[in-house]
Amino acid sequence: MDKFKITFLPDNKTVEVEKGITLLSAAISAGIHINSSCGGDGVCGRCKVILKKGQAVSLPTGRISAEERKKGYHLSCLSVAQSDLEVEVPAESRLDSGTLAKDDAHMLRLKGIFSEPEDTDKGDSILGENIFIHSPLASKLYLDLPKPNLEDKISDLERLYRQIRSLQDLPVLQTGLSNIRRLGELLRSSDWKITATLGKRNGTTEIVILEPGDTSKRNFGFAFDIGTTTICGQLIDLNTKKILGTKAAYNKQASYGSDVITRIIFAQGTDGLEKLHHAVIDEMNLMIQELTRENNIDLNDVTCCLCAGNTTMMHLLLRVDPTYIRREPYVPTANFIPVVRAYEAGIKINPRGLLACVPGISSYVGGDITAGVLACGMDKTEKLSLLIDIGTNGEIVLGSKDWLIACAASAGPAFEGSGVTCGMRASRGAIQKVKINPETFEVTYSTILDTPASGVCGSGYIDAIAELLRAGIIDRGGKFDPKLIHRRIREGEYGREFVLAFKEGLGTTVDLIVNEMDIENIKRAKGAIYAASAMLVNHMGFGFNDLEQVYIGGGFGTYVDMPNAIFIGLLPDLPREKFVFVGNSSLVGARQILLSHEAIMDADEIAKKITYFELSVEPGYMDEYMASLFFPHTDLSKFPSVTGKKSSP
Amino acid sequence: MALDLVKEKWSNAVAVVTIGALKDEGGTRSSVVRCGGEEGLPFLFAEGKTPHRPVIAMEVLDVEPDDWPQSLTSAIGPAIKNPVEWAVKCEKDYKADLICLRLAGAHPDAQNRPAEQLTKVVKDILQATTIPLILIGCGEDKRDNEILPLCSQAAKGERLLIGETVQANYKTLTASALADGHSIIAQSPIDINIAKQLNILISDMSMSIERIVINPTVGALGYGLEYAYSIMERARLAALSGDKMLGMPFICFVGYEAWRAKEAKASETEFPTWGKQLERGIAWEALTATTFLQAGADILVMRHPKAVELVRKHIDELMKE
Repeated sequence: MDKFKITFLPDNKTVEVEKGITLLSAAISAGIHINSSCGGDGVCGRCKVILKKGQAVSLPTGRISAEERKKGYHLSCLSVAQSDLEVEVPAESRLDSGTLAKDDAHMLRLKGIFSEPEDTDKGDSILGENIFIHSPLASKLYLDLPKPNLEDKISDLERLYRQIRSLQDLPVLQTGLSNIRRLGELLRSSDWKITATLGKRNGTTEIVILEPGDTSKRNFGFAFDIGTTTICGQLIDLNTKKILGTKAAYNKQASYGSDVITRIIFAQGTDGLEKLHHAVIDEMNLMIQELTRENNIDLNDVTCCLCAGNTTMMHLLLRVDPTYIRREPYVPTANFIPVVRAYEAGIKINPRGLLACVPGISSYVGGDITAGVLACGMDKTEKLSLLIDIGTNGEIVLGSKDWLIACAASAGPAFEGSGVTCGMRASRGAIQKVKINPETFEVTYSTILDTPASGVCGSGYIDAIAELLRAGIIDRGGKFDPKLIHRRIREGEYGREFVLAFKEGLGTTVDLIVNEMDIENIKRAKGAIYAASAMLVNHMGFGFNDLEQVYIGGGFGTYVDMPNAIFIGLLPDLPREKFVFVGNSSLVGARQILLSHEAIMDADEIAKKITYFELSVEPGYMDEYMASLFFPHTDLSKFPSVTGKKSSP
Repeated sequence: MALDLVKEKWSNAVAVVTIGALKDEGGTRSSVVRCGGEEGLPFLFAEGKTPHRPVIAMEVLDVEPDDWPQSLTSAIGPAIKNPVEWAVKCEKDYKADLICLRLAGAHPDAQNRPAEQLTKVVKDILQATTIPLILIGCGEDKRDNEILPLCSQAAKGERLLIGETVQANYKTLTASALADGHSIIAQSPIDINIAKQLNILISDMSMSIERIVINPTVGALGYGLEYAYSIMERARLAALSGDKMLGMPFICFVGYEAWRAKEAKASETEFPTWGKQLERGIAWEALTATTFLQAGADILVMRHPKAVELVRKHIDELMKE
């Protein structure tokens, strides 16, 4: 079998691959991340590379323009080497590398994926309530044991238990064989002064770690929110409940497909599950390493880790086959995942440290939603409230302390910048806010971190569409007025388009535009979320006006312009004061659960209490969805503040 | 014991659309057609008034149709070669309520007739007839956007019903109709949401709802008729319940649909057991039409004189209280 050396620029990393391996696969082996939304099907056109040296053959694709072809552009997923190659990965194909620095001064708009210390300090719920007692998943106890003598000659283990019980009320204690094997020698060599780490494990307490001397001051844990698009990690001092640092990074599984379904399909291929599993734990381990290093913490003092994420993400994290999630009747392998050792899942903390996952509700409503409900305190209030988590999969929960019901709607990744021409995730350089002068059609915009614009993120699209509507450039159906002539309006490859920013002065190779196809995609995404919310509220015999509180969560929820979100019909037309932006409620919930055994039990209760409402079998859903495919809605009376039409009685 | 009929109370009536303008209204018609205005479901007179009976428009093409079966063309006779004579025949001999002129010859794939010829046909028909006129383009957006505004101008003041607008192409024609005082047909593909959305889009251009007629798109008997029926029924129920953006009269192109059906077109040699082709075609068109009357059709656009006669009789019967 022939082998070729492929060198990727600008990283200058070389990898040797067998003939027939695609350039995309080669890049992954070389540890280079190239964007790929479709998982290598050759349809998304995001994995462009430039061939600098050598011979490669590509399957034909419409995603490379004639001009690009001349410059040596190839789709890496459709190309295989015919000789040794030198390949350049252009900026537009690269994942923004690395983690987002925690103390970047301008992170306001990134609140969603980067929880700032001030509003999340000490494990407070986002509502400012501190309701859970402090009893972390793993706690350390310093023990000075009385030495045995002829009067007090109970065994070492019983002696250990007796000492622990004299300090804490723990009727059920467990110890693993390996700890028992070490116990005799450890107690004697440390002069009967040891630190025991007690872990809350599935209803019992386990002596997880035994160490000589007093290390009880040094006990740390991690809370993670594992999203389809973004992973957030937080290092927490389990003794003081203090957040020592937060990091957010892109879920590198995105290289294998942008939504959970594509990834589940990818997991079924050769090594697919292994690759997806590694993509997530490698990222988590990197965050753990960086945060512990920055805080001068020994990895051995990190005793536990708590993760919230959707059901598919949890399966992939634990390397459990997710296949059955997407097959009727859509049953996951596990919703309530027992506490396991972190190393079993490949998480590199103390080798005996624990890993817990927030319990999920169903295949398409996961532990991130349980954590979100917990963080919002929805299960503790009399108030009828609604939580809308806007993500690739939009999840919606309705209820109060007596009952909770949830559904999921496949919104697609448009709001997260995928499947739209100039879309990008909410990161540096993304256009996040847009204003269009209704007279001159001139555009003012701002970007995340005020760097030159390189794309448009979800909130930018919401603003852009609302402004295009206000200026009369597009109609309520999302179509451009064919009569308008302006330098910003032109005919593009996919229908008419509006130029938000010209490439001159931006450093991009193309103008940043919104076209009719993008508007159509956003319309579908917002339609799915609105229709699902309406169906759920309706199903329980309520109307939107009955809601006392609406929580908007998700990576982009915090920085969405609310009046514009209502203007395009993404959110129901309710008084603005009923909306609460909760940002990454999943991470807040995960931290609360990490810090309190009470919250763990609460999360179990919430997950058991939430009824799952399957929208796909609801006959009315499709109808409601179709009616939502209009700005703001086919039934204008549902948006009186937008249309000036009064609600029908 | 006397049985009390359960009566539904409705909160809204269908808008009344007037087609054609009399001399003192700025037009040249000797009569006008008013359609819509229903206050209840079709023919349930106890629940609400039906102020205007359903009307029949007869379809006339600007060029001799090349895909109509002989059983249809021969019923019209030699006049089919001349749109003006054909229209006069519809008015005088067949007692049509309206003429529906379809500018089939404008289509780029057909004869791509120059605009002057098309506006002339419109003017000539208006001159030769006294009943109101419905004007339909060739169905090719670009060409329609070019010719329909010219025809609209040529018939300024005649209060035509002009069409068709669709969701992806409604602005040009709506603007012309607004300027020249015509009403407009809003076509949607058997989809209640798109029907309503298009009405909103057209109203957003300040066209009043008394100047919009919905073409819900129908299917012939055996070709999706019940689906189209249920969409019309739902739209009408919504309209009567208060939804003004669905409260417009319906126009149904039953002739176009029925004469595409295999059962109407197939020859007797092909299917000897199906009976006479002529009767089959007429029955197919008449049955399709009468079905949509029950769904709330206000304007039926038909082709065969015999079918028109049958349906008119049927409407007479239905309208007897």
